[in-house]
Parts: sequence; C-alpha cells; structure tokens
Amino acid sequence: MKRSVRRVRKKSGRRKAGGTAMAAAAVLLTAGCLAGCQKKQVNPGDIAGFDPGEQYLSLWVHSIEDTEEGQAYRQSVDRFNEVYNGQYFADIEFVPRNDSGGGYSDKVNASVMAGSLPDVLTVDGPNIAAYAANGIIQPLAELTQEEKGAYLESILEQGTYQGKLYALGVMESSVGMYYNKDILAEAGISVPEAGNPWTWSEFLEILEELKPLMEEKNGYPLDMTFPVGEASIYYYAPFVWSNGGNLVSEDGLGVDGFFNSEEMKETLGFFRVVVEKGYMAEAPIDHLFESGRAAFKFDGAWEVNTVYQNYPDINLGVAPYVTGDNWDGGRYTPTGSWAYAASSGTEHLEGATELVKWMSGVESGMRIWELSKTFPSTYEAFDDIDVFQTDENYAALYEQLKEYGHPRPKTPVYPQVSTSFQQALESVALGGQESGPVLDKSVERINAKLERYIRK
Amino acid sequence: MKKRRSDSLLGMAFFGPALVLLTVFLFIPMVLTLVFSFTDYFALNPNLTRFVGLKNYVGIFKDELFLQSFFNTVRFVLIILPCQGLGALGLALLINKVTICKKYFKVAFFVPVVMSLAVVSTLWMQIYSPEGILNTLLGNLGISAQPFIHSAKQALPSIAVMSVWQGMGYQMIIFLGGLQAINPGLYEAAEMDHASEWQKFKDITLPELKPLCVFVFITVTIGAFRMIVQPMVMTGGGPSHSTYTMVYNIYETGTVNWEIGLASTMAIVFAVFVMALTIVQTILTRDKEENHVDKKAKRN
Repeated sequence: MKRSVRRVRKKSGRRKAGGTAMAAAAVLLTAGCLAGCQKKQVNPGDIAGFDPGEQYLSLWVHSIEDTEEGQAYRQSVDRFNEVYNGQYFADIEFVPRNDSGGGYSDKVNASVMAGSLPDVLTVDGPNIAAYAANGIIQPLAELTQEEKGAYLESILEQGTYQGKLYALGVMESSVGMYYNKDILAEAGISVPEAGNPWTWSEFLEILEELKPLMEEKNGYPLDMTFPVGEASIYYYAPFVWSNGGNLVSEDGLGVDGFFNSEEMKETLGFFRVVVEKGYMAEAPIDHLFESGRAAFKFDGAWEVNTVYQNYPDINLGVAPYVTGDNWDGGRYTPTGSWAYAASSGTEHLEGATELVKWMSGVESGMRIWELSKTFPSTYEAFDDIDVFQTDENYAALYEQLKEYGHPRPKTPVYPQVSTSFQQALESVALGGQESGPVLDKSVERINAKLERYIRK
Repeated sequence: MKKRRSDSLLGMAFFGPALVLLTVFLFIPMVLTLVFSFTDYFALNPNLTRFVGLKNYVGIFKDELFLQSFFNTVRFVLIILPCQGLGALGLALLINKVTICKKYFKVAFFVPVVMSLAVVSTLWMQIYSPEGILNTLLGNLGISAQPFIHSAKQALPSIAVMSVWQGMGYQMIIFLGGLQAINPGLYEAAEMDHASEWQKFKDITLPELKPLCVFVFITVTIGAFRMIVQPMVMTGGGPSHSTYTMVYNIYETGTVNWEIGLASTMAIVFAVFVMALTIVQTILTRDKEENHVDKKAKRN
C-alpha cells in the first residue's frame, strides 16, 4: 500500500517536473521569438558595405526583390550607399504583399506592437493619414522650397497630413479616359481639348449617340465596372470632386454632410443612368475595349503600355477626364501610390529623410519608369523621359496629372471610406437602390470607425 | 519501472515539440483572442487599448453587416451540406459499381480537391463570366445569359455550387472506403432473400455507412462555415454583400480596418456558434445510432 502511494507520488512529481520543463521551454521559445522580433542591432562589418562611422538606416519596401519594381528599389538603395558612402548605410528588406494588402501591412502592424519598426518604410498613399494619426510615422525633417518644388503637387499633397509633410513617393499614378479613335471617327465624334473636358451631361449624350453603333459591334459605348477593392474610389471619386463635392471634411474627421451630400447623390445618379440606359455591361465582360467592342474605358496609366504591347490594332487615344456638371476648373483627376516615410521609431530623422528624398528622387524615379513602367513623381524625371514628350497619350496623362491631379480622401478611416464608396456605387448604380438611405447608412458606418479619433 | 520511465521520457520527447508549437501558435493565440475580444485593440495604436467589457459583443449583434455575413454563411452551409454530402455518396456508389476505368474516375473526381481554392475560383470566374462557357452553353439551349456571380441573387448559389464541385471528391473517397469495407457476405445473404437493390441500399449500405455519414456531415459543415477564399477571389463579398461571409468579415475587420478587438469578438462568437452546432449534430446523430441499435436488438 505504502509502496504504491509512493509510486503514485513519484509519478505525479515526475509529471510536474515534465510540466515545468515544458512550460520553461514554451517561455523560452516565446522569449526567443520576442527577442527575435525586437529591433535588430547591426554593427559595422555585419553586412557588406556597412563601414565604421556610417549611420545605419533600415528600410522596408512592400515588394518582392525578384520583380522589376523590387529591382528598381534594390538599385536605388545601392546607389544611395555609393553616394552617401562614409555617412549613411541603408539596408533594404523586401516584404511581400498580397493583392488585398496583407503580408506587408501585417508585418508593419506586428512591429508597431513589438516596437521594431525600421527607420524608413513604404506606406500606400491613402494610408498616410491613418499611419500619421496613429503615430506610426513622423513628419520628415524640413525640406527646402527647392527640394519640395521638385515633386509634383499631387505627391506633396498626398504626403501631407494636417499641415505636415510625412511622405514622399517615387511613383505617381494616373487614370485615363481612353477612347478608340477609329470608333469615334466612324461616329463622327471629336474629343475636346485638354482643359475643356466633357461634363457628364455632355458625355451621356455622346454615349447615347454611340449606342446604336456599338450594338452593331456587339458591344457597349463604355467599358466600365465597379470592382471591389481600391479601383472604384480611385477611378470614380473624381466625379464627386469635379461636381463640387468631397467625401470627407477638411480635417478628415467628419463625413456627415460630405459622404451623403447632394453632390455625391448626383454622382451616383449619373452612374445609375449609365447602367440603366445600357451604356455599359451590367456584368463585366473581359477585354471589351481591347477587342474593339467599346468606345471608352477608364483605366490606370498601365493600360497604354498594355494596348501598345498586346493590342496593336487598337487606335488608342486619351480624352480629358469627364467632370461633373458643376466643375469649377479645380483639381480632380486620380492620383496616388506608395510613398516613403520615416517611422516614429527612428532616432535618425535626418538620415531617414535623406533616404526618403533619395529613394523618391529624380534618379530613382527614372529607374522605376525604366524597369516597371510606373510613372515617376518629379518634374525633372518626367522631362527627362522621352516618351512623355513624344507620345501623345503619355503626354496627355502627364499633363492631366500635373494640372489636375487630386489625392484620395485624407482621413484615418480611409479603408472604411473606400469600401463604403464602392458599396454605395454598386448598390445604387447596379442595384438601383435609392441613394439617400444607402449613403446615410455609409455615414453611420464610417462614423462608428471615426469615433476613436474624435474621442482622443 | 525503468522501462516505463524511459518510455514516458521517449513519449515526452516526441510529444514535447508538438506541444510547444501548439501552445505558441494555437493555445496562446486562442487565449489572446478571448482577451482581445473584451478590448478595443486597434492594430495601428496598441498603446491606447482599453477594456470595454461586453461592448463589442453587444455591438456586433446590432451591426447589420455582421448579421448579414452570418446569415450568408448559414445559407452557404444549407446549400453546400446536402449537395456535397449526397453528391459525394452518389458518386461513391456510382464509382463502386463501375468496372472499367475505375481509377480514372476516382482521380478525376478527386483532382479538384487537390487544386488550390484560389486557382479553382479563378477558373470558375471564367466559366461564370457573361461570355463564358456556361453562358455559351445556355445560349445554345435558348436560355438568355445569366449574370451568375455578378448578381446579388445568383452569386451565393453560384459560389456554393462551385464549392460543392470542388470539395465533393474528398468525401467521395471517404464513402468509397466505407463501401469497400462493407462485408460482401451481407449482400450475398440479402440476395438469397431476394432483396431489391433499393432494399439492399436502405438496409445494408446506409446503416453500414452511418458512422462515416456523421463524420462527413460534421466536416462538411465546419468546412462550409469557414468559407472565405471563393467569395474573396470571385466577388469580393459582393454584389451588395450577398456573398460576404463570417470569416471574410473577421478578416477584413482585423486586417483591413485594423480593429483586432472587434474581429476577435466576431471570431469568438463564430467559434462558439460552430462548436455548439457541432455538439448538437453529434448528439442528434448519436441518439439515432443508438435507437437504431436498440431497434435491431428488439427485433432480434
């Protein structure tokens, strides 16, 4: 009896020891991970090219190294290290990002918690406000007027939050209203000059005129969709702006009276007419424009390259972006892309700012165009790239960007504004719902997300 | 005694690493999720996190979008469960009877299971597209083109059908294994009694497959509840949120809108619901089984 009791005791003792060992192992592993996730300490000589006396600067980009974009970043960093040899050493890390924005942003979020942000990181244009408002990035060190003046106004505007410059991008983007020259010639329609765009009422008349011709071609006047994701707000918010409306208030902290304004309702009404009258296909048809079955299409600047490379039969033109009926001549066309910013964790703001300036500068911009055919962000880069002078379509897109580029809403709750915009467009234009209640519901939902910023 | 100790040490050596990994990657996150669900944890600004009590729990049940995503998910399950379960059983019975090219059919029906869901979804986007294969076929039959995934009414059933097609092969293999394990003597005996095909199916095949049915029933249910890839790739949850599922909602709330606290609450509610449902399923099916055994015993 005694013996058996002892045996049991012994057994339980052993179990306890085992449990303790395991708990210790778990703690060790967790601690190891946490330590690993902490900001890494790099000493001169650890990495080739990092010499004593140089300031170490870490940099995260949202890309894969093997891509053309990644190569452009790699080469720009290498050049930075050459030019600033003895002063700074930049260490680039590539963090892949999937289409829905995960991956890269997950890593940033995790690092915010662990306090292991790099010195410089890339931020998508519309997220700059949220990152700034939550103290993930800090304003850049002061730039001279000349330095600032090198960038397109849209880039400075995108990087500014509440009066301070936080980010500078190497890439700028644009959306064109493309048209098929042959089809418009056949219909006897001529496109207006830059600076004198069609208003949407005029555009509806053009679409009506084109409809019979396009039906003959088994197509539609307009190749357009309202896709889920960033594209919808990016392509179609300009209709609200050029109609005198705004999606959010000036400080980005209010939407009531903006997102559900009359101007917004009119815009949705315009898209409803386009769908109702059958000027576009209700269910998206692939390559409608590229196969010559649509007269117009809204698409990113990359479309020019796509058509040139893959659809040589299409006679492509870029028309001035259609405006609302209340346009006052102000800025309204789509812009925005990823930009570099200094993290709030960096203790070397001067160095970080130098790196941001270099990575977004003229040389880096020309490289990003060369390798990935993405628009640069400085006047000089555009002037130095031949195609923006010689090719009428690229020239038109640059002109539009320069004169009329408008950033997307600057608000910390941008993701909610973006999804709400797409949903409203879909519900009203495609679903035929009344715009008032749909927009009021959106306002309610965005307000719920704004609460945390207003509370502070 | 010595042997036993070394056995247990050996066991621990095998079991330990798995336990550590499970703890770090499963148990700790589970506990954290529960803790976060009572906070307003915001990924971009974790320092401001506060305990908010049951506010999130009350909030999500007032949130129309959450309720819609919940009912969408239930709708998915209601379509997928019978179609996939019965379809898999049907396929298994057919293949069991086939004598030529049996292997070919087995592989053919199993292939979609092996393919990545994202690939299958992209493929079916082509099939469902306005000028895709399916609409061309319908056109030849004189039926006008259907919008499928582009209409708020048809999107959910369209995706459900695709999911059934994709997932069925797996359950088919399970049923096939079950069918082959049935003692042929039972069928021989039935034949001697001049039992019809239907009687053989009803009184031998089905009862013998019962435990498998329960397993398939539960795994398909849980699988269908976890639906996210298909709507994410094919419709982005649209049109008008008609294919927005619970898991999709949790994902977007947590990663796109950065609201980890709220997403955790949704995840907890969802997990509790699925767990409760699984328990109910298990109890219901177990009772039937016992009744069945009881009846058999009585009959004897």
